[in-house]
Amino acid sequence: MLKKRFLVTALSGVLALSALAGCANKETTKPADNSKDKKTVELSLMLTPQWKGVMDPSEKGADYDSFFKAAADKFSKQYKDYDVKVKVEVIASDQRDELLNVKLNGGTPPDIFFENTFAMGDYAHRGALVPLNDIVDDAAKKDIDKKYWDSVTFGKDVYFYPFSHMPGTLAYNADMFKAAGLDQYIGGENEIKTWTLKDYETILNALKKDLPKDKYSNAYPMGLFALNNQGDTWNLAYLRMFGTKFFDKKGNLVVDDKNGVEAAKWLKKTYDAGLTNPGAESVSSNDVNAMFQNQKLAISFTNSVLFNSAKADMAAGKAPKFDIRLANIPSESGDPLTFTYVSGAAVFNTKDKTRIKVSKDFVKFFSTDPELVKASKNGIPVRTSVANEFKSQNPLFAAYDKNAQYLFNFTGSVPGYSQLRQVLYPELQAIYTGQKTPAQAMEDYQTNGNKVIKDSRANSVIEQ
Amino acid sequence: MKTNKHALKANMTGYLFIAPQLILFLVFLVYPIIEGIRLSLFRINYTNEIFVGLGNYKTLFEDPVFLKSTLNTVIFVVSIVALTIVFALFVSSAVFDKNAKYVSFIRGSYYIPVMVSMVVMSMVWGFLLNPANGLIPYVAKQLDFSNVNFLGNPHTVLPVIIFVTFATNVGQAIILYIASMIGVPKDLFEAAEVDGASRTTIIFKILIPMVKPTTYYLIIMNIIAVLKIFVVIQLLTGGGPNNSSTTLMYFLYNNAFKYNQLGVASAVGVIMFLITLLLSVPQLRAMLKKD
Repeated sequence: MLKKRFLVTALSGVLALSALAGCANKETTKPADNSKDKKTVELSLMLTPQWKGVMDPSEKGADYDSFFKAAADKFSKQYKDYDVKVKVEVIASDQRDELLNVKLNGGTPPDIFFENTFAMGDYAHRGALVPLNDIVDDAAKKDIDKKYWDSVTFGKDVYFYPFSHMPGTLAYNADMFKAAGLDQYIGGENEIKTWTLKDYETILNALKKDLPKDKYSNAYPMGLFALNNQGDTWNLAYLRMFGTKFFDKKGNLVVDDKNGVEAAKWLKKTYDAGLTNPGAESVSSNDVNAMFQNQKLAISFTNSVLFNSAKADMAAGKAPKFDIRLANIPSESGDPLTFTYVSGAAVFNTKDKTRIKVSKDFVKFFSTDPELVKASKNGIPVRTSVANEFKSQNPLFAAYDKNAQYLFNFTGSVPGYSQLRQVLYPELQAIYTGQKTPAQAMEDYQTNGNKVIKDSRANSVIEQ
Repeated sequence: MKTNKHALKANMTGYLFIAPQLILFLVFLVYPIIEGIRLSLFRINYTNEIFVGLGNYKTLFEDPVFLKSTLNTVIFVVSIVALTIVFALFVSSAVFDKNAKYVSFIRGSYYIPVMVSMVVMSMVWGFLLNPANGLIPYVAKQLDFSNVNFLGNPHTVLPVIIFVTFATNVGQAIILYIASMIGVPKDLFEAAEVDGASRTTIIFKILIPMVKPTTYYLIIMNIIAVLKIFVVIQLLTGGGPNNSSTTLMYFLYNNAFKYNQLGVASAVGVIMFLITLLLSVPQLRAMLKKD
């Protein structure tokens, strides 16, 4: 009997210990098996899809994680302090916040995150990121324009190391334009065409009326979407078409002015007139992009990476071929509207000094290594040296550069920007479904948005 | 005291046998509930936790989206549970005494959607209903109807979600009802037939009362399941248009994972827990009551 009890007790003990072992924290550093002095540091790097391949999407086996795997390998070979292993994970952009919030609340943030920095600013405000001032040297400051450093600086500190940027514009199907007799509005192949708002309205109406139905059945002039926050920067740009300032000097929304309401009315009028795809309230930016690639839309949103991907898909026979070109988002004043997403790496505060140090060293390595930074040509390089080196290969670099004078800061650098995005699309849905007038929707967006900004400001570690 | 100690010793083996289940229950069910209640009283940042008392609950009841979510959840629960019970009773009572192969065919037909993941079902419905590239809007356009967007219309979005969820879940109820009805003693039906009772009378006076425990079980299970309705909302509508199809679970998810308002999300969780408890206790009591 005693033996049996002992056996049962021992088994229960083993079971409990196994369970506890499973729950135990992993060691951040441990001696390497094949090295005498070097300890192993395992880093986790996450990114959203940026570009495929190390340098080029045409490489064999090119994927979104190729660059960072190659960079980690190169870094590990030359790093003297530790034996570094980097686990690279690609996550969907629309799942980023969900995943990061779970990881942060569980106390297991990734070490490094590579993303468009506008989407990550909130994490700096929340105290989840560490400043990178100590890895930014004078050579980098000289090679990367101040406007990019400004976009990654919160308060006094730099939180992201700028790598490349993706200007946002419109893309149009020049073949559809020709078919609708709109040749005069087609820009050059390497030009970002600027139309006035009046031109733009003429184009939309002509596309609706004159596009041959036999060749382009079920096609619409312009892509419009408001299912969620994906691609909402273009919606923000449309709301600026009539000149609203959007944010005041204190960083509060002021979109409920005459110009803001006028822009919202323009969107509703264009939607109701059938100049856009139907069902904008339940269509996502992905749907719109797919429609454009399948020639169901003549004008759509794009950025430099999407534009290159669309061209690559056409060349590879994955999508129907057509003459795709770029245009600016028009405005009533005549000056076009454009914005850019700066991409770069941020280091999370994992509360482990060793991992933070190695993470910073790795970020500095792939953001400054003369060979690796050339991969930024897949977007638009933030480094003048790289842009100059590749401008002959990509004539659009010059067009984007010329366009930079029309850039607007769409985030307003306000705290709580991620949550602010969540209060915009329900208001746009309300406009399109007729649940609210454009004026009411703008008023509600301003009220709800300013509450988000106020609450986030109160919780920001930067603004306190 | 001595007796207690002795009893404890004597029953030690029994306690050890139930210990793994008890430990799992405490760690994975009781602890999260207590932690959820605690979190609902705090405002939580990455760097600190601030006690706000019932502040999160106050925020909730001042939020029109929360009130809309609650109303939508009630509509979903009432509609889906009622539809499921009525339809399952109708189908089961119509076929339970028919040929065994026919019963198996009916059971299989209704059960297939239950076996398919809700994610897959939602994606299929999304493919059918998407106004940009969906089959139904496309066919409607080819037939020269105006643009059809069931998911973008605040008046049709709830009925669509109710139908999709009902169609996916009803098979489970049919299986249970048929099994329960087959188990009803045959002599009751024979006696009724001798007395000249019609089929309708047999169904309403014998069959439905005899399967009452199954009905209670299905009502409880479906209420709990529908209160947690999430996947279909996330994949089909994203809560839209303009929060017209947001539910409590979707609201909780948004607060916890998109807005990082863990305290507010926990408060929603606590409220949902209380609602489920309030709805389940009387029904459980009725189910367990001995006649």
